[in-house]
Amino acid sequence: MKNRIKVERAIHDLTQEELAIKVKVSRQTINAMEANKYVPSTVLAMKVARVFQKQVEEIFTLEESD
Amino acid sequence: MKLHLLPTKFKKIGWCLLIPATILGVFRIISDFDNDMLTMKVFAILNDNFMGSTGYFKVIETDVTNTIVGVLFILGALFVGFAKEKSEDEFIAKLRLSSLLWAVLVNYTLLLLAFIFIYGIAFLNVMIYNMFTVLIIFIGRFHYILHFNNKFVSNEK
Repeated sequence: MKNRIKVERAIHDLTQEELAIKVKVSRQTINAMEANKYVPSTVLAMKVARVFQKQVEEIFTLEESD
Repeated sequence: MKLHLLPTKFKKIGWCLLIPATILGVFRIISDFDNDMLTMKVFAILNDNFMGSTGYFKVIETDVTNTIVGVLFILGALFVGFAKEKSEDEFIAKLRLSSLLWAVLVNYTLLLLAFIFIYGIAFLNVMIYNMFTVLIIFIGRFHYILHFNNKFVSNEK
């Protein structure tokens, strides 16, 4: 699964740390998601989307391999 | 993913037990487990030795240095490995479980090789180390990845 977290973060001028605090996870989790090393749970994906005020699918999209 | 873990403060307590226990343990290995440092009376469910008979549920007098080092090490390692991180979340839970799986696989691969290639008294040493290696490998891998990730983060705005 691809995500646009890094891009959205830049648009909203948030650091990984700040986003982590907003969705109540560790910085490592945000970092791992951005590096495509971790696919978040549905709950976390929806929380991230809510911070950016977008639909989940505008931020997370499926890839060929999924 | 909800895991049953110890409160975060156990992590610090764990390191305070684990570090001295490791130093003492290495010291014991260097000295070949020889010099008895502390002999006292203890309660034994089962006790036997090469010469004498087997005893059950008896108070015996014995050297407890290895006992103390082992107990401190295991408690310390359990606390460090299974206390919550400050910001425990789903990714850390997954990392914890995958590290545990990895540690069991690596540990038994090494043990398998030791079974095949190490014989005699040396294998006794393998058995001694093997009591602790699962926890050591688990803690090592879990913290390495957590820390490695951290480095990425600090570089980035």
